[in-house]
Amino acid sequence: MSAAREKRLPTPFLPGVAYLLAGLLVTFSVLAPGFASVPNLLNVGVQSSILLLLALPMTLIIMSEGLDLSMGAMLGLAGVTLATLLVDGTSLVFAAGAALAVGLLFGMANGWLIVSLGIPPFVATLGTLGIAQGLALVATDGQSVVGIGEQLPDLYASRWIGLPFSILVALVAYGVFHLLLYHTRFGTYVFAIGGHREALDLAGVRANLYHVAIYGVGGVMAGFAALVFTGRMNAGHPTAALGMEFDAIAAVIVGGTSFSRGDGWLPGTVLGVLAVGVLKNGLNVIAISSSLQVASIGLLVIAALLIDSLRGRR
Amino acid sequence: MPLVEMRGISKSFPGVRALDDVSLSIAAGEVHTLLGQNGAGKSTLIKVLYGAAHPEHGEFLFDGRPVRISSPSDARRLGIAVIFQEFSLVPFLDVAQNIFLGREISGRIPGTVDHGRMHAEARRLLDMLGSSLDTRVMAHELGIAQQQIVEIAKALSQNARILVMDEPTAALSEHEIARLFDLIRTLKADGLAVVYISHRLREVFAIADRVTVLRDGRQVASLRPAETSMGDLVRLMVGREVDTTYRHRFCDQPGEVALAVRDLHADNGIHGVNLDVRAGEIVGLAGLVGSGRTELARTIFGADRINRGHVRVFGRELKDRPDVSVGAGVGLVPENRKTEGLALVRSVHDNLLVAGLDRLFPEHWYRFRKAARVVGDLIARLQVVTPSPHRLTKFLSGGNQQKVVIGKWLNAGSRLYIFDEPTRGIDVGAKAEIYRLLENLVGQGAGVLMISSELPEIVAVCDRAYVMRDKVIVGELGRGDLTEENILRLAMHHG
Repeated sequence: MSAAREKRLPTPFLPGVAYLLAGLLVTFSVLAPGFASVPNLLNVGVQSSILLLLALPMTLIIMSEGLDLSMGAMLGLAGVTLATLLVDGTSLVFAAGAALAVGLLFGMANGWLIVSLGIPPFVATLGTLGIAQGLALVATDGQSVVGIGEQLPDLYASRWIGLPFSILVALVAYGVFHLLLYHTRFGTYVFAIGGHREALDLAGVRANLYHVAIYGVGGVMAGFAALVFTGRMNAGHPTAALGMEFDAIAAVIVGGTSFSRGDGWLPGTVLGVLAVGVLKNGLNVIAISSSLQVASIGLLVIAALLIDSLRGRR
Repeated sequence: MPLVEMRGISKSFPGVRALDDVSLSIAAGEVHTLLGQNGAGKSTLIKVLYGAAHPEHGEFLFDGRPVRISSPSDARRLGIAVIFQEFSLVPFLDVAQNIFLGREISGRIPGTVDHGRMHAEARRLLDMLGSSLDTRVMAHELGIAQQQIVEIAKALSQNARILVMDEPTAALSEHEIARLFDLIRTLKADGLAVVYISHRLREVFAIADRVTVLRDGRQVASLRPAETSMGDLVRLMVGREVDTTYRHRFCDQPGEVALAVRDLHADNGIHGVNLDVRAGEIVGLAGLVGSGRTELARTIFGADRINRGHVRVFGRELKDRPDVSVGAGVGLVPENRKTEGLALVRSVHDNLLVAGLDRLFPEHWYRFRKAARVVGDLIARLQVVTPSPHRLTKFLSGGNQQKVVIGKWLNAGSRLYIFDEPTRGIDVGAKAEIYRLLENLVGQGAGVLMISSELPEIVAVCDRAYVMRDKVIVGELGRGDLTEENILRLAMHHG
């Protein structure tokens, strides 16, 4: 038993990505003088914030032994909805509400397909990916929706207590998710759904409800991400966010969350998101082409998991 | 007055009469043991008791009042808690969170949980059980005995009045079993009723106040242990005379050296092990759980890395690679037959052939007719009870699964068999068959190394036995010295 005590404390030891992140920060600081400046680091934060908004719910989804491939497409459809309403002169609050509702609707649909109909998450969310993307293209003829007025871009450009809006949103989102996962029933049941679903049923908990809710949360967060993304682009793009779910999945996995047994660690996801953000930004600063950047994220994932497996973490 | 009475319970599944007019009455402060072979109806009866199965006939009385139990929540409200063989802990929640799963103590904000109070409450429960387990440890870091304590604490936290335990000792060491029994006696003294399901007859006499024997869904007896004997209980369970002789002829003239282990050191902690098994011998490997028996078996099989020393099988040197070991004639019948011994979702046919394909088809061309013939022969020889060779092995009983694992190695041409807990989870009738198979193997010139935690089994079956402690062999006992006391003395470091 004393052995178990020693193993538990202190906190679960750092995943390999923590060392990679530190290594990347040092390397880019040396290679590119402009990298370590405050404006550039804030820029990394801004670029990472949208990814974090997707990666946080993705952590819960992966912990529940699931997957959501439709997040980028949901973001696209929610963004197009938001932009179209703003072009029509709708108030920002109402338009944002509509974007969140679109996300919620699709997220719940994912949950329903997966939990109630028993369709494997990969297949179910591949289906909703297609539907959301198709709707976004039909609604826009594949064109960007421009002329969304000043309200949203102004909000995006605003600073709060010295921080860019998107970083603030990301910080608040992290705080909320941390509380949600570690201090609520819902969070406890996320661990249980991935770890021992039957135990939850036997404990008299309506596990299905919570399981669907996990995907619902994913949809809502795609809606929030659409808000930030549209503000940044100053337009609604039907396809610009496609594939972002893969960056989110990569960030979650390198952060130490596993696809089985409900083994997840939320701070690790932040590290994963930052590693992806630093890598992309740093390669930009030292002028590496964007095609090579894609390959570099693949390398990051493999390197992080290699470190973890060499240390016997997995 | 009994705490719970089940009267005239009958339950059918398509094609099976699972329970036929069974009545059970359980009193507070009583340990009531349910005995029966696999398929006798024990699990169905338990499912009925906690509301997961609904009988066609029969009634429940709780505290003398008729009640309906139509769901596990109903059962929980009445104070019925079940500890399943497969524990129901969530691996990445801590001990306190597991104890209160589904009944979390709420914090001030709705939906939140109060970790502080949950840990304090969990501490109180564990102290009551005499356990010093840290409530912040994650469930996946706990050993089996510790997980069981958490399950018991979970049941107590639900104010359980009836605790149902399904094969609670199946994976425990002798020492842990003794502690569990102490705990059960304490619970009993506090007025809890315990329903205890087991295959192990000895435990009935150690812990039970009443025994109910089920056979083919019928209740064949309900009596006090003092009124009966092991032989009687076996007869009641099986319904016929069972040959309880474990071994008919011991080996008086061992053959050539089948396995020679010299000064073996391995990554898994095994150090300085010397051991011999000769053809025609069944050699036991005894010791407490964690003493290194399984590690030694894995090292001999080539699954763990050797640092120093030699392992020779019929004179051939092994090189910590399972393929080399199998080629030299080593067959491992592992403890976890469902994960390491069989591919459960494949057929009897496929499992029997998988280790011997190279030997069966040296031309590297699979021939269906030859395969079917070989499989047919093995099934007949081992008397595997299966409706067809193409039945998936997950549908077979434990005893028949074990026969398939043995058949796999027969087909691979193994001549040195390592058995790790060969009769775990196998009922009495099938056990005798497994022992007969062991005897046949050595009769045909194979050597057998048998790991077992059941001391009577080692004493009754083996020609000799080695005893392990702390990853080394601490003694060897010949047929004349082979007693349970001698094994325990060596295994437990009492000088």
